[in-house]
Amino acid sequence: MIAPGHPRSIGKHVPRREDPYLLRGEGRFLDDIAEPKDTLFLSFAMSPHAHARILAIRTDAARALPGVVDVYTAEDMARLVKPIRTVIEIQGYRASSRTVLAQGEVRFVGEHVAVVVAEDPYIAQDAAELIEVDYEPLPAAVRLEEADSETAPLVHEDIPRNVMFEAAFASPDFQSAFQSAETIVSETFRTGRVAGVPLEPRGCLALLDHVADSLLFYTSTQIPHLARTALSEILDFPEPRIRVVTPEVGGGFGTKAQFYTEEVVTAALALNLRRPIKWVQDRREELLTSIHARDHIYRLEAAIDAQGRIKALRTDLTTNAGAYSSYPFGCTLEATGGARMIVGPYDIRNYAFRTRAIATHTCPSGAYRGVAQPSCFMAIEGLMDRIGRKLGIDPATVRQRNLIRNEQLPYTNVLGVRYDTGSYEECLRRALERIDYWNFRKQQAEARDDDEVLRGIGICCFTEVAGAGSGGWRVRGLTKVPGFDSASIKVEPTGKVTLLVSQAAAGQGHLTTFAQVLADYLGVKVEDVFVSEGDTGTAPYGTNTFASRGAVAAGGAVIKAAQSLRQKIARIAAFLLDVDVERVELTESKAIDKENPEKSVDFRQVAQIAYSMTSVALPQGESFGLEVVEMYDPPLATWPNAVHAVVVAVDRRTAKVSIEKYVVVHDSGRLINPMIVDGQIHGGIVQGIGEALMEQIVYDEDGQMLNANLLDYLMPMALDVPRIDISHIETPSIDALGGFKGVGEGGVIGAVPAVTNAVADALAKTGANINRLPLRPSYLLREMRRQQAGMDGDRQ
Amino acid sequence: MSQPGSLRKTDVTLTINGKSYTRQVEPRRLLVDFIRHDVGLKATHIGCEHGVCGACTVRIDGRTARSCLHFAVALQGAEIETLEGLSADGRLAGLQKAFHDAHGLQCGYCTPGVLLTAEEFLSENPGPSEQEIRAALSNNLCRCTGYVNIVKAIANAARDRDKTKADPAGGSRP
Repeated sequence: MIAPGHPRSIGKHVPRREDPYLLRGEGRFLDDIAEPKDTLFLSFAMSPHAHARILAIRTDAARALPGVVDVYTAEDMARLVKPIRTVIEIQGYRASSRTVLAQGEVRFVGEHVAVVVAEDPYIAQDAAELIEVDYEPLPAAVRLEEADSETAPLVHEDIPRNVMFEAAFASPDFQSAFQSAETIVSETFRTGRVAGVPLEPRGCLALLDHVADSLLFYTSTQIPHLARTALSEILDFPEPRIRVVTPEVGGGFGTKAQFYTEEVVTAALALNLRRPIKWVQDRREELLTSIHARDHIYRLEAAIDAQGRIKALRTDLTTNAGAYSSYPFGCTLEATGGARMIVGPYDIRNYAFRTRAIATHTCPSGAYRGVAQPSCFMAIEGLMDRIGRKLGIDPATVRQRNLIRNEQLPYTNVLGVRYDTGSYEECLRRALERIDYWNFRKQQAEARDDDEVLRGIGICCFTEVAGAGSGGWRVRGLTKVPGFDSASIKVEPTGKVTLLVSQAAAGQGHLTTFAQVLADYLGVKVEDVFVSEGDTGTAPYGTNTFASRGAVAAGGAVIKAAQSLRQKIARIAAFLLDVDVERVELTESKAIDKENPEKSVDFRQVAQIAYSMTSVALPQGESFGLEVVEMYDPPLATWPNAVHAVVVAVDRRTAKVSIEKYVVVHDSGRLINPMIVDGQIHGGIVQGIGEALMEQIVYDEDGQMLNANLLDYLMPMALDVPRIDISHIETPSIDALGGFKGVGEGGVIGAVPAVTNAVADALAKTGANINRLPLRPSYLLREMRRQQAGMDGDRQ
Repeated sequence: MSQPGSLRKTDVTLTINGKSYTRQVEPRRLLVDFIRHDVGLKATHIGCEHGVCGACTVRIDGRTARSCLHFAVALQGAEIETLEGLSADGRLAGLQKAFHDAHGLQCGYCTPGVLLTAEEFLSENPGPSEQEIRAALSNNLCRCTGYVNIVKAIANAARDRDKTKADPAGGSRP
């Protein structure tokens, strides 16, 4: 037992331990690691074509440049490494094979065709530009709509019609429910193509530890353990001799939860050349080659009754997979995610979907923060508004009528997925109240036609799949994603505690939050806990940090490990205190006799015995040391939920969108550190505002990316961001240890639909139908003018 | 074809955080590479190398500038200041505390640039409005925080500076 008097750390605004060194500029990011003097640097030659046959590669000029050590092409690399093949054990999936340098054919602009190894990064880049490649350009399938056709150029010869994945589902009574409904509301939604764009680009540094003949591999990743396993398999190099270390990571957002070809090349060349090898990409490469995301088409049809209740829903989802299935999540993650999550917090009993991932000659897509959920909730929440407009019922009321009611929880949705706890109705009620919804509607009705701005309000009610355990990943066939996480606790001989966690943070504050969790569950002072993660040489194996899983999966592992170690500490303390073990409670790094609380021993005294560093012998039957490792497998998923509500003003003349009010009512179960939770929500919302209003990766018809720089790939700046009003409801998970539900992605999931709906609502009275992202002024003006022209036409 | 790799190196001397450094560099050597790789001061980060993100913000002769947009050779004799220097001499103590208290950073990659922008801004605008703070931050991209707590931290730092000035003996805490 932990003493009731133990001061609780969970739920407190504990300032972050990460801050002091980061604020002094002492955080050691990948490129900050001092490389050995004999380090060689890589630069990749990239394809300028979206699709072309490689006829010849001439590397003589590059090799002749002083300082160049070697140049490798696909043929050279084929001798060193295997292709990357993302195995996904799910019906309807066709795996693409990818060599780490393009072999024979290039399939997107930016794909690597050769790599230079040089003594200096400037020289490596010079040499990469001296590589001459003869290409025979081939027709390219760039846009999703074009690639999804019988006549489209094939991205892979062995993947017919470019369909990399397809799946379908229908609940038993879907057909009859759909056909018997009174009204059908349908809409097609098109989302934009965006990317995570962490401020630190990717990079890695491979060093040989000659004594042990092993590889020390630093990489800016969210998945050190999965990267190590992948490296071992692809390099055919023994996993025990690989140590992957994640340094400070300058933002991840899922972009760095993928394992990339450059990591393989860097490691392979270090082993081959027996020299340290470093590769750091520049921003252009980052935008051309780090995974892209979204780029979906949702065709929805809802069969509704007269009150606006959805009696049956049909989704037809098409996602853009890009040229290859990324590793380890592949092209199925967004396609399955969007089709499965879209039912959200709604009581939809009849559902059918068809979902497909289509290969195109563009950068591979992958798991960007929120994965398919910002898109699928944009679609379903957009449909809710349209149901309201069609029936003349307020869209908030439509939602209230469709939400899963409190008394229905725990609830098993139409796909067989269990929501253990939630607060769907309460979140909506509070959000409407905080944004003064009904008053806004009143004022909106009184708005005049000559007002300079059009105001609208948008709502997004959503559930978020988070903290998925092994079951959740198996269901989706992702067998390279284990699902469990782990924690190792050592009470050291001095009584201080080392906590190793199988995660790798990229700004989430794990060093602080996991110390808080351990403090409460072990009865130790938070300042006595030291947390370390991201080093496969020390930390136990786990699934790592993505998909809002840190708090749930690793938090659970910390709890499990603490519970198991507590018993041993209590037994040794009971021996020292000469009381029954039931009378021992742990609090503030001490074990006390709860019937006689002034009698206590501290963790140091217990540790001295456990480590045999005192004259008192270890009690009979106890083993030495105070260490434990525990794995925790969370449930299929945990289900945070929230409601975002947004008021926007759209300038009639310029179509510039200003966000005037932003309200969030969020429920991610039990909060570990509310300050950090709010920070996650803020950041997600602003990425969502970017995705809704401005961010878009633009390929021209030839597959050239037109905005591979931060001047043209617009992301929100401080002036674009409104004040954000966050409040929390805490309904702890009953399925996950600790009651945590995860919070990494909720912000972006809620923001994209809420902002989109607000703009669509503002423009609704002009007749414009807003159903595509991003909501750039050019698009909004075009839609407003189209309606204007239509009306003028009618009059003539 | 001329080979840029063979460009002749020249001696460049810069004063960084009060200390003089002479290095032989190519004329195309970026200031940020001089600072990070030739001198070894790593607080100044590279986010885009084309002058947009502000992660590489330093002070050149007393004004903030993007170190990815300057060639070291063109700054012969200039006085450069980086986060390491401003942090060591205590000029940033108020801002650093405010960022810590308000959770004004997450991954910390943009933070050095943000701190330098904020320091210069506050020294010229002691009592800024929220909108002025946001405008000043147009210098810097942050992908983690949504700027919410950065704005708050800068506003708090401004308020605390004000208090310190009004009551120099009492400092910023009661």
